[in-house]
Amino acid sequence: MYLQLNKLVCSLVLLCFTAGGMTDSLYVFVPRGNLVKAVWIPSDLIVELQSPAGKFWQTMGFSAHGKQCLHPEEALYLMECGNLQVFYQDLPLSIQEGYERFLYSKTMSIQHYQVFGHLKRLGYVVNRFDPSSVPSQYERQLNLPQSQDRSGRLPKRKRSHSPTSRHTGTQEGPTKRMEEEKDCNREEEDKNPYFLPDLSAPDIDEIQTASHVDPTTLTEGGQSRSWWSMEGSLDPDPELPGQPQSSPRWDFRSIPFPDLGSRRWLPSSLTSPDPCLLPGAVGLVGACDVAPWLQRLNLREVRMSRRERERDRDRYQRDINQDTEVRRCRNWAEYQELQERRIQRSRRDRPAHLWEGPVTPLHDPAQVTSTGELLDKISVIKSTRLLEGASSLKGSEEWRICFNIYQPDTVAEFKKSAPGKPYSRMCVCSFDGPVPDLWTLKLLAFQSGDIPVTYAVVDHGDISFYSFKDFQIPTDVSF
Amino acid sequence: MDSPEPKRTVSREDASKESMAISRQVIGINFCGPTPLMWRADELKSARELGIIGTLVGSLARQPRQNTRLGRPLELLPEEGRLLADMGRAAVIPDSTNEDPEVNPEQVQQYHAGMENSFQEQGAMALEDRKTTLLRVMTAKHNGEGTSSLTYRHLCDTSESCVLALTPLCFLLEDSGSQEDSNGAVRDRLEALDHGFSFPRTAMAVQLCTARAGLSHCPEVRRLLATDWPIPRDERSETRFRVFRDLRRQGFYLTSAGKFGGDYLVYPGDPLRFHAYFIVVCISMDESMPLCDVLAIARLGSNVKKTVLLCSSGESQEDDGEEVVYTSLQWSGMV
Repeated sequence: MYLQLNKLVCSLVLLCFTAGGMTDSLYVFVPRGNLVKAVWIPSDLIVELQSPAGKFWQTMGFSAHGKQCLHPEEALYLMECGNLQVFYQDLPLSIQEGYERFLYSKTMSIQHYQVFGHLKRLGYVVNRFDPSSVPSQYERQLNLPQSQDRSGRLPKRKRSHSPTSRHTGTQEGPTKRMEEEKDCNREEEDKNPYFLPDLSAPDIDEIQTASHVDPTTLTEGGQSRSWWSMEGSLDPDPELPGQPQSSPRWDFRSIPFPDLGSRRWLPSSLTSPDPCLLPGAVGLVGACDVAPWLQRLNLREVRMSRRERERDRDRYQRDINQDTEVRRCRNWAEYQELQERRIQRSRRDRPAHLWEGPVTPLHDPAQVTSTGELLDKISVIKSTRLLEGASSLKGSEEWRICFNIYQPDTVAEFKKSAPGKPYSRMCVCSFDGPVPDLWTLKLLAFQSGDIPVTYAVVDHGDISFYSFKDFQIPTDVSF
Repeated sequence: MDSPEPKRTVSREDASKESMAISRQVIGINFCGPTPLMWRADELKSARELGIIGTLVGSLARQPRQNTRLGRPLELLPEEGRLLADMGRAAVIPDSTNEDPEVNPEQVQQYHAGMENSFQEQGAMALEDRKTTLLRVMTAKHNGEGTSSLTYRHLCDTSESCVLALTPLCFLLEDSGSQEDSNGAVRDRLEALDHGFSFPRTAMAVQLCTARAGLSHCPEVRRLLATDWPIPRDERSETRFRVFRDLRRQGFYLTSAGKFGGDYLVYPGDPLRFHAYFIVVCISMDESMPLCDVLAIARLGSNVKKTVLLCSSGESQEDDGEEVVYTSLQWSGMV
């Protein structure tokens, strides 16, 4: 087949040269059977496949309302490789038109595409970054399996059947923004980053209003939803800009939780909670009688041993009138002298000229301490880690993470629905722009979670990769 | 030796005519965002002859999955594009993607007609190809070569896309009888081909275009469509352009030098044949450069064995009469 096709190619090339009609084309001839056809949809900014996808489907593309789709940069890359032919208004697009139509804005510019293409040609798996898919610190601590299963799959663990909206209320799940949509599409196989990752920081107020959605829509997913992951994804809604929310849905500071154990205030009954905090079907609940709950609390006196009681008495229950030394004082002046003497006794090791002034020594030699602690005390600059203070940083328009990169040797087992942890995340910049400052580094490192961030600097076709590693200067002292 | 010479001069004339045609051509530059790109192979050639190198940034058509050699489009430095436009050798083709008409039925019809023609031609060529193979088999058998079985196997392997039943061929393989019989069978096969050959659509080769086909390569249309070069607003771009133009006038070839911490790399000739001599850093006349920056760039230059040029352009606004001031940095001892 190869030999025959080769001869065909040679004769066809000759034909084109002699015909002279078409100029300047890609002299690649692909057998029609291997060429996947697709259509460009500018309103959604996606490319929709019209014939079944080939081998590239394993690592690229996503499903949307029953059809296989590709992002513009993926489509352009496949066009350059000769695997895909994209039609617009019934005519095939050339590579030039692909560049002009698909690389449209700051979110997917030609520099981003150059980085994307460079890495794909080396064999890496490159996906768009979705900020809400990064698990929070708490989730990482819990070490939950990062499944992005759609609602069609049953969770492996059996758990008590409870209304799902209560769980979604407490979860700090990925892809919170999808709760705004109504449809749950069970046919989705993989994570669908429909919207371009827009890392402008979401307002807390916006989250509140967004989360006060009719909870009944969330229960539509049914029992077969895994409680820690997102429910089914939805149709791309181009009007709604993607609002990735990575903070929790509930603002716990504003929800009053009664403290039934406090001795100071014992309410007789609790008022009805705000209906928006309750599962939708429950509605208004009446006031709650506290008495049966209090009975269940352990309000008994603590029984202390004799030693504990003595200690208690000596420390906390000293009555100054019972003190014999105080009784011997006949007037106020003598009492003050007594106090003075007592203080002096306790501060025997500390000379007054050092310790009574406004400036006191940093360290009392009588106190036992180690060299390391001493060094810490005298250090002026405290060492810090990259992620310190990073959680309070707001997002930036200029700097954002664009891609997730997975290593080439994982391609064989790569599954779009469960890609696992990426090898790195990529941020694209150029030598013309500013150098990333510490604020940017902290922001992006925090957004990336525990995956290192690589900065791809594009300089007219040349790409260099830089990364910043958190590094602690080693201390030579044994603690 | 008179006879070979006339031929040589004729061919030289042709070549010079061709180069003149290329040199008179107006190069089209398309913008993708703020980046100027060039798409046509002949224009790349003419630009290179003018000293504009650029960088290839697309996938190479015949080997798309590697990064060592890239293909079109050619990305230009903004200064390169501006120089071409100023020289009158290039024109900016505006982006026509925003004016989206509806489906153009004429063009669609043309496209489908073209595809049909291509399919017919390919079908005819495939048939010819098949016939010549069979003929070669026949003649091979005639000459009594022992390669007949191999050729049969070749036929069997390549008959996937053709309606050729394998059984008669296998029968032929087994039948090691007289050559006359097998030749007769092959002749019958040839006739059957003429009647029953069909070239399936899935085997058709399809052409994928790199550059946009159409009117825009015609120079007159290009002049009509062309827009002006976007004027840069800041002083730094202006300085860079003046330095670029001056160095280009002196015959040097320049490429971008982000990897080397500078603005341009200066080559005495084509970059494919020479190493760079200088790293150019453009700064404005009144700007003061911190000493650690000077040290850094000097160190870098001495490590890569290139001379660092600090360049500033003069104050005058006109094109003529301005001068570019060059300062070179060289690491030397206290001699």
